[in-house]
Amino acid sequence: MDSTLFHYLDYAVYGTAILVMLIGFYGTMVKKSLLKIVISLSVIDSGLNLLIVTIGYYKGGTAPIFSPGFLKNFKDVSKMVDPIPQALVLTAIVIGFGVTAVALALVIRLYRHHGTLNIDEIKNLKW
Amino acid sequence: MEMIHIIFLIFLGGAVLTYFAGKVSKVLQDIFFLLSVLVPAYLFFANVGIGKEVTLTLGGITLVWGVNHFSWLFSLIVLGLGSMAAIYAIGYMKGKERKGYFYFNFILSIMAMMGILLSLDLVSFFVFWEIMTWSSYLMTVYNGHETQRIGIKYFVFSAIGAYAMLMAIVIVHHVAGSFMIGSMINFYPNMSLSLQIWIPILFLMAFGVKAALMPLHVWAPDAYSNAPMAYTSVFSGALSKMGIYGMVIVLVTMINQIPQGFWFREVIAWLGGITAVLGTLWAIKQDDAKKLLAYSSVAQLGYIIVGIAIGTELGMLAGLFLAVMHALFKGTLFMVTGAVEKQTGTTNFTEVTGLIRKMPWTFFAALFSIIALAGIPPLGGFVGKWMLYEALITSNHYLLVIVIFFSSTAAFLYCYKFLFGFFLGQEEKEWAHVKEAPVVMLVPMIIMSVLMFVLGTFPGLILKPINSGLVDLGYIDTFKHLWNTSIIFNAWGDHVVLQPILYYIIAIFVFFALFLTWKGHKTTRYVTTKDISSSGEVPAEDENLTFSVGFMQPFLRAVAPAMRRQIDKYYTGIADGLESLFEFMRRIYTGNGQTYAVYVIVFVVVVLLFKSVLF
Amino acid sequence: MVGTPVLFIAIPLLAAFLIPLLGMIWKELVRIVPGLVLTYLLILAINLLNHVLVHGPIVEVIAGWVPPIGINLVFSAFSGFLVTLMIFLGLLVWIYSYRFKRNVEYEPALKYFLMLMMLITGSVGIVLTGDIFNMFVFIEITSISAYGLTAFYKGRNSAEASFKYVMMGSIASTFLLLAIMIIYSQLGTLNMADIARKIHLMNPTLKIVSYIFFVTALGIEAEIFPLNGWAPDAYAEAPGPVGAAFAGIVVKAAVYAIIRYTYTIFDLSSSFSFLIIIGMITLIIAETAAIRQEKLKRMLAYSSIGQMGLVLVAFGFGTKEGVFAALFLMLNHAIIKSLLFFSGSYLVYNSTEKNIKEVNGMSKFLPVTSLLFAIGAFAIVGLPPFAGFWSKLSVLTAAADSNMILIMVLVLMVSVVELVYYLRVVNRIYFFKKEADTKPHKPTFNALFVMLVLGAIILLIGFYPDAVTGMLHKASASLMDKGQYIHNVLSLK
Repeated sequence: MDSTLFHYLDYAVYGTAILVMLIGFYGTMVKKSLLKIVISLSVIDSGLNLLIVTIGYYKGGTAPIFSPGFLKNFKDVSKMVDPIPQALVLTAIVIGFGVTAVALALVIRLYRHHGTLNIDEIKNLKW
Repeated sequence: MEMIHIIFLIFLGGAVLTYFAGKVSKVLQDIFFLLSVLVPAYLFFANVGIGKEVTLTLGGITLVWGVNHFSWLFSLIVLGLGSMAAIYAIGYMKGKERKGYFYFNFILSIMAMMGILLSLDLVSFFVFWEIMTWSSYLMTVYNGHETQRIGIKYFVFSAIGAYAMLMAIVIVHHVAGSFMIGSMINFYPNMSLSLQIWIPILFLMAFGVKAALMPLHVWAPDAYSNAPMAYTSVFSGALSKMGIYGMVIVLVTMINQIPQGFWFREVIAWLGGITAVLGTLWAIKQDDAKKLLAYSSVAQLGYIIVGIAIGTELGMLAGLFLAVMHALFKGTLFMVTGAVEKQTGTTNFTEVTGLIRKMPWTFFAALFSIIALAGIPPLGGFVGKWMLYEALITSNHYLLVIVIFFSSTAAFLYCYKFLFGFFLGQEEKEWAHVKEAPVVMLVPMIIMSVLMFVLGTFPGLILKPINSGLVDLGYIDTFKHLWNTSIIFNAWGDHVVLQPILYYIIAIFVFFALFLTWKGHKTTRYVTTKDISSSGEVPAEDENLTFSVGFMQPFLRAVAPAMRRQIDKYYTGIADGLESLFEFMRRIYTGNGQTYAVYVIVFVVVVLLFKSVLF
Repeated sequence: MVGTPVLFIAIPLLAAFLIPLLGMIWKELVRIVPGLVLTYLLILAINLLNHVLVHGPIVEVIAGWVPPIGINLVFSAFSGFLVTLMIFLGLLVWIYSYRFKRNVEYEPALKYFLMLMMLITGSVGIVLTGDIFNMFVFIEITSISAYGLTAFYKGRNSAEASFKYVMMGSIASTFLLLAIMIIYSQLGTLNMADIARKIHLMNPTLKIVSYIFFVTALGIEAEIFPLNGWAPDAYAEAPGPVGAAFAGIVVKAAVYAIIRYTYTIFDLSSSFSFLIIIGMITLIIAETAAIRQEKLKRMLAYSSIGQMGLVLVAFGFGTKEGVFAALFLMLNHAIIKSLLFFSGSYLVYNSTEKNIKEVNGMSKFLPVTSLLFAIGAFAIVGLPPFAGFWSKLSVLTAAADSNMILIMVLVLMVSVVELVYYLRVVNRIYFFKKEADTKPHKPTFNALFVMLVLGAIILLIGFYPDAVTGMLHKASASLMDKGQYIHNVLSLK
């Protein structure tokens, strides 16, 4: 019983991550407010990060940290989850933060220039 | 360093030097200009032997330049006419703006034409072809703002032709494994049938554009008439011959190798015939000398194309002879027009009349060229036309004979109009101050008029190089039995049989003319256009009574149906339609960032959906 | 050994972060230091490239972790050529933008050069790295500095352009990360050579999906239609030299990435025809969009997009000739389009709208700039004897050798369209009357110098293509030889 539940739970985590991403995509494509778009972009990032961490995890794994106690019990090494996705996610989070900061700065400038946050009205450059 | 390379370096360096010399001194610029045209011309004829080949490897491609008899013949046209026009240009360009620009492009055009003739490989052929195109394009837009549409039309047509040629070149390279023209010709019979058809068509598109072959001729009248006249004489006289040169290579050396080639030559001959007729009809309608000559050029090129498309020995002789003559007389006529334009400021027949007393030498040149153009003995045009008719008849193209005959008869109308419009008729008061053109402009015109007479009387002088060229192309040597090819030649092959009789006729005519002039010298007086009050009704001051107004109305009414459908309009329609389509298409870029994001997602989804098809 | 590839990333990155500090010492240093750094890097790049052309590629291991575990940098003939080109253009952009418009003041110059150095670091890193995640990081560095540079001017619509760029850039990074993770979850490695060696073990569907994600993500940077909505806006609103940097540096890096994925990493044979299809669509849409364009820089942007499409088409032939042609095209495009952006931004210097109308009659006031623009225009449409002709010829030769007749026809037809809109602009410069309200602005000495250098290179390549073809042949051979690449990286101990 335990195992099947975990089995479904595995998928549920994947599903949640993908769902979060889809919500983000929905927001990016449908919401008109610049702020909401920026938030949606962040949401996509979060979903993606969740997904990546999930890929690196497997059932019953431990944190990939070499502690003195860890080395004594060498069998546990094989129980470590893959550390690379976590490292990648850390990088991706930082980058996502940077992009969000730039985007918000631009939103401020757009609001000052156009006096609106509606993306449909910010179309000075076209064709 | 080979002489051929030196020649090209002189051209190139001369062009640049001439351009910058203008910043120092105008005279220096003129001298540099003349030197950079005349010196290479001299070096070429004095030092470059026929059969010489030089190679140059560039970008992994071997570029081979060399001279054979056939290209030597065309070099004669290019450098001869080029030198004459260069001398003329010194006078013509005096006091005009953008001299450096004109000289630079002039030299580059001459260089590019020489390059085309000397290229034995397709890449350098194409390179020079394109240089020729853009340098002549820059000349077309010399007059500025209004000409930009005309210039672009010319360039677009040229580019379509050139790109068709480029496509053919790379395909040939792919199948024959070499860029050499010789290996293309040798490989041609081994190509697949579809290539055998397409390669010549692609090449002929390029050459047809330059030779103003219908239906690719629509750029020509505008471009010829809008370029500066000093250049147009080269443009129409020599540059269009590059199309003829290419056509000869394709039609004669390539297509003759397969039996289906017959149809090609038939079609091209007929297109040439139609071009001749249409060009002539349009020329008659023009009131502007530049336009008239431009259309006339189109028509004359039609004759030449007919001659070479027939492809018999006599046809080739006729076509190439006409090509040389056309360079001479059309070059001179454009110079005459330029001289008139320079002295009066306009080239409209309805405005300029009666210049014979003001510009007698110019009139003399115009008269000679018109006689040559119309094909009246004893000038060269007559011999060429005779040979063309004979070639057509001996090869059983009777219908084409009628077409050509119609067009060449109708050509008399515009010839007359040109001569009468500018020089004869009553003198307008407005032009009383007009002086003869400067000597530097007259000399080339006179030299060329004399040449026309010499070649008409001794056609053998030019038939000999033509014959050598034809031998190079694989024809049997006609020169030794020239009198067998055409009944017009006598046994020495130098003279025209009919000539002596004609001289008597001319002598008598001249005698009467002199007699009447002398006799009537005291009793006649010059009248101006408006000086006809004796007929009872005084014409108003602003009424235009010039001879050329409403010239040949009945004739034009008769042929109006043939002229109603203008090919030009179809092309313009296509171009406008395409631009509107593009205008519509670029609205894909809506300017809304969100739409762009949607595009990305749609792209991913579509590619994912069709991944089994795509991957 | 004359130097190591890691310097190409370390030095400009260090310089970028030192610029604000140096600015506290002497304000002029923020303008001088980037130039010194780029000059040094250019010398280094040329030295290394010479070394590589003779002795074969240099593989640099970072921090002692041997591939496939650690990150490695590969300076082969192919990547070395691109790095040299980018740094050369970077140097020219620096010379040109020294005291260009807003850069006269300290504050903007500081930001400008900081971001420019970051941009170059990122782009060079994309080309040099041998690790796909590391490439992701470099792409993000490039993008973020590009967002900043796009929004450099205040008061114009630059923020709008930049925001569009940010939106699409974020989506791009999402897809890139997804693709990287698909590969990682399947093969357990991030090293390009290692992936290339193991790629046949991958689930075919997932392989295709990850490839599509890669192309989408990189295609946004490489301006593939329909992913290039940001590009015309960004080019038009960014400062002129930055437009040149985009066309010459950023896009080249993105195209490099696509090509590296297609040629080295993935073994999908049909990905070549995919490149041809998207490249062709990009080419046609972009060039036709340019013909009725009213803004000069937008027109140049569309032309740039179209050229990138053509580059992809040439890469899509998958033959050695095709790669050679594509590299030649990239080189020419980098040089010529930079010249067009450089001279074009002086032709419309004082205007806010940047309408094409405003170049009317500029030849009388800015003769040299106009002439150079005309040379650039003639060169980019491929008229001999300028540089563009040889690349066009090699593209067509490659197409003919691959029996792509339809591609040739389309490319040539599009060339006619390209010809028309460039000629219209050149005609305006030379033959139209000046608009009453335009104020010509003489180019500064350094800008003029850069333009003259570029013009001279165009003529040099035009008259003597052998100056570059040898190198390009080696570069294309180095790209085509996948086994050698894997061997070079993985045999390190």
